[in-house]
Amino acid sequence: MERIHSLYLHVPFCTWVCKYCDFNAYAVLEGLIPPYVEALSHEIDIAGTELPIGPLETVFIGGGTPSLLTAAQVRQVMERVRAIGLAPGAEVTLEANPSNITGPNVEGWLAAGVNRLSIGVQSLQPDALRFLERLHSGMDAIAAIRTARAGGFANVNADLLFGVPGVNLAAWLDTLEAVLAEGVQHLSAYELTVESATRLGQEVRTGLVRMPDADDQLEQYWAAAARLEAAGLAHYEISNWAQPGYRCRHNLAAWNYHPYLGCGAGAHSMFRLDDGSTERRWNVKGPHAYIKQTSETGRALDGAETLSPERARGEAAMIGVRLLDGTGSARDFPEQRRHLVGAGLLLEDNHQVRLTRRGVELANQVGAAFLGEVASPQ
Amino acid sequence: MSTPTHLTRAISVIAHVDHGKTTLSDRLLEYTGTVAQRDMVEQVLDQLDLERERGITIKAQAVRMLYKADDGNTYQINLIDTPGHVDFSYEVSRALAACDGAILVVDASQGIEAQTLANVHQALDHHLKIVPVVNKIDLPQANPELVREEIEKVIGLPAESVIFASARQGVGTKEILEAVVREVPPPTGDPGAPLQALIFDAKFDAYRGIVTYIRVLEGTLRAGMRILMMQTGKSFEVDEVGIFRPDRTPVEDLSAGEVGYLIANIRNVRDSRVGDTVTDEARPAAAALPGYRHVTPMVFAGLFPTDTEQYQQLKEALEKLQLNDAALVYEPETSAALGFGFRCGFLGLLHMEIVQERLEREFNLTLLGTAPTVEYRVKLRNGEEIPVDNPDHLPDPAEIEAISEPMVTATIVVPSTYVGNMMELSQERRGQFLNMQYEPGDRVVITYRMPLAEIIHDYYDQLKSRSKGYASLDYELVGFEEASLVKLDVLVAGSPVDALSMIVDRSKAQQQGRRLAEKLKTLIPRQLYEVPIQAAIGGKIVARETVPAMRKDVTAKCYGGDVTRKRKLLEKQKEGKKRLKRVGNVEIPQEAFMAVLSLD
Repeated sequence: MERIHSLYLHVPFCTWVCKYCDFNAYAVLEGLIPPYVEALSHEIDIAGTELPIGPLETVFIGGGTPSLLTAAQVRQVMERVRAIGLAPGAEVTLEANPSNITGPNVEGWLAAGVNRLSIGVQSLQPDALRFLERLHSGMDAIAAIRTARAGGFANVNADLLFGVPGVNLAAWLDTLEAVLAEGVQHLSAYELTVESATRLGQEVRTGLVRMPDADDQLEQYWAAAARLEAAGLAHYEISNWAQPGYRCRHNLAAWNYHPYLGCGAGAHSMFRLDDGSTERRWNVKGPHAYIKQTSETGRALDGAETLSPERARGEAAMIGVRLLDGTGSARDFPEQRRHLVGAGLLLEDNHQVRLTRRGVELANQVGAAFLGEVASPQ
Repeated sequence: MSTPTHLTRAISVIAHVDHGKTTLSDRLLEYTGTVAQRDMVEQVLDQLDLERERGITIKAQAVRMLYKADDGNTYQINLIDTPGHVDFSYEVSRALAACDGAILVVDASQGIEAQTLANVHQALDHHLKIVPVVNKIDLPQANPELVREEIEKVIGLPAESVIFASARQGVGTKEILEAVVREVPPPTGDPGAPLQALIFDAKFDAYRGIVTYIRVLEGTLRAGMRILMMQTGKSFEVDEVGIFRPDRTPVEDLSAGEVGYLIANIRNVRDSRVGDTVTDEARPAAAALPGYRHVTPMVFAGLFPTDTEQYQQLKEALEKLQLNDAALVYEPETSAALGFGFRCGFLGLLHMEIVQERLEREFNLTLLGTAPTVEYRVKLRNGEEIPVDNPDHLPDPAEIEAISEPMVTATIVVPSTYVGNMMELSQERRGQFLNMQYEPGDRVVITYRMPLAEIIHDYYDQLKSRSKGYASLDYELVGFEEASLVKLDVLVAGSPVDALSMIVDRSKAQQQGRRLAEKLKTLIPRQLYEVPIQAAIGGKIVARETVPAMRKDVTAKCYGGDVTRKRKLLEKQKEGKKRLKRVGNVEIPQEAFMAVLSLD
């Protein structure tokens, strides 16, 4: 098995679960965080002894809202991570909600070893924030970025959403401009996606909410891309931009098809086996079940699947093409490449392929091309 | 086990679709103890999954029952269950040829319908004794007395002979059995005469080869006998003879009047031909029995595997299916758009649907069916006349002297309120009015002469919807008639798609072309490129629509934990695409090929 150098830790708690969110997140279950942190620590310990893992190059604490953990809890988790082994200069990211970014927290997180903060700004427009059910204001978000930077975070990401109903191109670019002015090193701009199993999904189905059409969404996307490039942030993945040297190494590992361990409720792991196959595992989703099973057995596995080397190559290419500088992951698919190049979706250059502008817009069509025929369940 | 000939009966149950004949057959099996009540699955005789699911009978089934009658004798009653849908009337005809009597089932609330009449006529053609039954008398809207009166007036059977029954509740079962042994004549054959047995069905059994369904009319058939198929001239040694109870049960012999099966290591499907006569090779009969009315397919369509590698499998599947379905005919066909497949002839649209579904289910194939068409006769300027069952094969207009199309007499039975609607519809479909007759029970029988092509283009659905479901239809091929017809071609992304061509009435061609293009626009999913759709008559474009290119298909977030879900989603979409046929650069769904069926 290929040695693992990336660790993802999931914290499934939120003060409020926004209506568009279909992540594994639960409105804060009173009193559940302390036992959850215990269980998570335990799972990290066990995994560290059973798997070929470390030294860790990247750690990503995501959610949910990991910033709901106290500085002491983050420190406790990071101690377990250090027991596995943390490489010098490792990237350690914590996702944070603007409301939790206070001076003392920033100090505590830094002291615990977190060196990258990913802030869920989403928007600065009051209407958009209300629509998205965010509990912070635009001013809170800007203040949070400043607090993080002033407190010592030199690597800050802001998450933004575009294509929000009621937000036109100009308003969206205003948000982007204001966030850029704060000097973030990394920016993720996501199109607001309607997931069917969310309240937003329900509202769209019943006609209560109308989403902007594809042309409007793409206009906001490409306008943002142009503005970000001009500001010196390179477009390196479909929804991600960064200053030189600040690309998210944790996510790059996944897009480059390197293995990672995921701990916490609903977390996914990916292992690369010696024969070229890929194993994916995932934990039980519910925090109660996760805590119970982890405390009893040290693990909380819910399911697993193994992809043959051939299918694993297809999956690697499906993910790899999202990297806009190009990828070598499609080298075993000459026929598909030829077809996609012919269709104007891919450019080929020295065994590397990269998406064209149209290819970005139809990235799923490109990704699907590398997935093999799968026998239908009988 | 052997029953004297005078105590043997062979009967069929005939009815309009859904009047309850299969349920009635089930009751007869139960009452005679042929099937124990605890073993009773609903619709015992419907063996195909598809039959149970759809609640219809597709194949004729045979079973032997023993019944101790009030006269103290134990009778052997051979029952052949038959399908009711108009498409399968040939199965009825095959079954009737092997019978001496028929139980006619009429629904107590629906009364006599188009196929009731058609089936009665067939039964009378075979000189069968008819036992009339009014079924479903337990339904609140039932009017058995009125239906009994109708039977006397319309069919000419005495009202007193009509038995009231509720197959669902088991009412009338005994009365029906008594009438059968009393009214239906025993077979006239002589067990000692040279063997003459009629093949009325055949099935392929994976372990035993071909199981041939027969009725012995003269002589006796035994295991070990060498038999001769009188039409094909092939001979076989009989391994096993048996009866259906309702499962196959071997017996020592089958003698004159009895119904059963034979297994004789027959491997080739063509050697057990429905309608052929089986005789004793050592002591052959002087002549073969008159065969069945030859079944002629009415509609034709191409069947193509969506995965070209399944061609050989499709070929083998058709061979096997044909054995169970004598009405299915096919020959290889090559389409520029769809590749290699088969041109198949069917009895009607339901038959076509069922064949496609059975091929897909029982043989695990994914198929694309083209729109059904009728068979035209084209007279060329050089005097030659050729049949054309594929619109794409229509010769160049310059070579054509005249085109004839098959005509039918359509019989519609409908409550008088809907007569206007029926006539309007039939006239829209180029129908020529022939006759209208008022019957008791507010029932009108209307007959039209009309092109078969118009009937297969959703005429039946329209008939049903414009009569709130009350109208019933039967039709019969009556010959060919010259008509002014042209070929309508469809170009997708600039290339003609042969499988979308259709032959239409010249006066409606432009309008049909426009509607077809509009409809295809809604059915062809967006592709990577913009896809123009054009309809053309004789090279002249008469309509154009455009399917816009796919605008956007991208997932915003794809991190470690999202990968499995995303991959599965894309795989599922890809799996769905298997049902699409790639023509050039365009993926066309099955529905698009059927678009021509409902252009109104």
